[in-house]
Amino acid sequence: MTSTTNPSFILRAVKDVVLGDIPKPQIEGAHDVIVKVGQTGICGSDVHYWQRGRIGDFVLNSPIVLGHESSGTVVEIGAAVKNLRVGDKVAIEPGVPCRHCEYCRSGSYNLCPDTVFAATPPHNGTLSRFYKTASDYCYPLPEHMTLEDGALCEPVAVAVQICKVGNVKAGQKVVVFGCGPIGLLVQSVAKAYGAKVVIGIDISQSRLELASSVLKCADGVFSPPSLPKKPDGTAYSIDEESEHSAKVAQIIKDNFMLGEGPEVVIDATGAQSCIQTGVNLTKKGGTYVQAGMGRENVVFPITTACIRDLTIRGSIRYTAGVYPQAVDLVASGKIQPQKLVTHRFRFEEAEQAFETVRRGGEDVLKVMIEGVRD
Amino acid sequence: MASRTNSSFVLFSPQNVGFEDRPEPQISDPHEVLLRIKSTGICGSDVHYYNHGRIGKYEVRSPMVLGHESAGVVIKVGPKVTTVKIGDQVALEPGICCRYCVYCRKGIYNLCPKMQFAATPPFDGTLCDVYCLPEDFCHKLPDTLSLDEGAMAEPLSVAVHVMLKQASVKFGDQVVVFGAGPIGLLCCAVARAYGAGKIVAVDINEARLLFAKRYAATDVINATTTSKDATEAAAMISKKAHVQTGGADIVVDASGVESSIRAGIHIVKPGGTFVQAGMGRDDVNFPIAAMCSKELHVKGSFRYGPGDYECAIKLIETGKVDVASLITDIVPFEQAEDAFRGMSGGNSIKTVIRGPSMSTKMPSQA
Repeated sequence: MTSTTNPSFILRAVKDVVLGDIPKPQIEGAHDVIVKVGQTGICGSDVHYWQRGRIGDFVLNSPIVLGHESSGTVVEIGAAVKNLRVGDKVAIEPGVPCRHCEYCRSGSYNLCPDTVFAATPPHNGTLSRFYKTASDYCYPLPEHMTLEDGALCEPVAVAVQICKVGNVKAGQKVVVFGCGPIGLLVQSVAKAYGAKVVIGIDISQSRLELASSVLKCADGVFSPPSLPKKPDGTAYSIDEESEHSAKVAQIIKDNFMLGEGPEVVIDATGAQSCIQTGVNLTKKGGTYVQAGMGRENVVFPITTACIRDLTIRGSIRYTAGVYPQAVDLVASGKIQPQKLVTHRFRFEEAEQAFETVRRGGEDVLKVMIEGVRD
Repeated sequence: MASRTNSSFVLFSPQNVGFEDRPEPQISDPHEVLLRIKSTGICGSDVHYYNHGRIGKYEVRSPMVLGHESAGVVIKVGPKVTTVKIGDQVALEPGICCRYCVYCRKGIYNLCPKMQFAATPPFDGTLCDVYCLPEDFCHKLPDTLSLDEGAMAEPLSVAVHVMLKQASVKFGDQVVVFGAGPIGLLCCAVARAYGAGKIVAVDINEARLLFAKRYAATDVINATTTSKDATEAAAMISKKAHVQTGGADIVVDASGVESSIRAGIHIVKPGGTFVQAGMGRDDVNFPIAAMCSKELHVKGSFRYGPGDYECAIKLIETGKVDVASLITDIVPFEQAEDAFRGMSGGNSIKTVIRGPSMSTKMPSQA
């Protein structure tokens, strides 16, 4: 491959991916940088676009390069770039907002409707040899950090944002539903922030073990009991399910001696039963954060939310200061996201990497794709 | 056809001003807008540069166009502009932030270290014919507002920033404002619009206090004969204005005067908020023990941030704040120098200079 080629992993249409070549990006604006991509982690959203071709309003209408959890080495910088030099290793924050709209001007750039977000149609992602972005969205990595760690800063940043939205503080009790990569990282960030107790919830024993014994990000773990199958095979009613969720919340409170309940509950599953249990579990006056994405509409315990004066917030992507904090947490060793990596592939094996995430299973957690080798 | 001249009012050195034809600005970014300036209010900072040629570290080292409180009409738009169109009346937010630094990304762009602010050296101000500004700093004015009122959006935005962002004034609050100049008066007006229960204006100028009482204050206090002892002065002011026991919820200093700041700290209730809006001496004798033991929230307030202009324009549009009655003098562009000369006293509150296009003859053609 010559230095003018830009090998890329392209999603042409639903379930149709190919290794191809796209034009090498050029510096256009004074704040542009070109990064030679070093490592890329795969996220559920990448797989979702591949399999379904849309998430909400974002619809795949033309081919895009996939990938958005990346790191790399700076190879070219625009005339106004002061924070980076050629050769710097960087973590790449994959969404550059417009900088002009009311959301950007007021500091909520994660809500900018004109964000150029890697691998959200129609924008190309980072699974190319070279990727162009804005210099203030690249964060230099200290010498000792690997490019793999740098790429893992993206899910860490998601977790940092979730904890920022939830206002997680030292001394709090925090319960996190879901021990996938995001759930585990949220638990890790909460611990790093000095939470008194962090409890991880999942239905998979091996995931719970990751939380309690491998990452050691949870002080306690729990697999919630599900309603037994009815002898006549009929489904439970909405009310029966809701009642069960409330019972499970009480079991969690009792099991872990959470008293009035955790001040912060975070759902990183998107599953209705977890959302219901989570809201029931939250201490009066506490905060519930929706981080996981499942069905668009769920049966929600709204009266409980009302009478307990709960603050219910959504969390999406990241805001100012979050990515640098993620880099710090990893650089200092307080968070060790490389423990989440279960599979590593070379660039040419990208489709295999995606297939690994798609089939899933208990042995698959975070899958990494190396950048193009020279 | 000869290109139109951009007649500008320039400060060369202290008290040495004149008119110059400057090149008309060009749109260089697709989000930029060209505006014909119609009305510009004069601010204390403009007058200070006129008299002294500097404010703190900011020094006028080369000729600089004065003025920054302006409103105008859109005459040209860049290809990506969507929020305004030719012919729209707009209020100018005259400080362009860098959009890349942590302050900008956090939404507190008024603190951007690379801020390019009109008439703060070395950046030219708005006392000219045509001015270029990115669209997100051009705030559309409803047709019901005059361009003079539009120019008042700038100082009103300063007051909005003080009272809403920094002081967080709410319904029923008792507010004391030191200084009844334009900013102090507008702070009183914003407090009233947001339902403050008591608004006390303090000054040493009786004419300004009479105006304040008609305008927005519930109580006015002439502090000329107050004790030099700050706690005594505070007690006298609170007593005369019947401030609630314990103290005022909010005190704003819009004077920059040390004795006001000192008395003000003693007037705030425990747990209350003091906002420093006025600029006087760099260092003052400050009642720090009172601040500590009363657990006060002491904040600075600087210019304006996201949403402040929109709020100010809404306040004018809905009649909640009257800015027109603060305009005491309107001066044609060619008399700009006289306006600056006459600014060091008198009964005027806000002087507005009309744009060159409002005159029948350009001053440079005289």
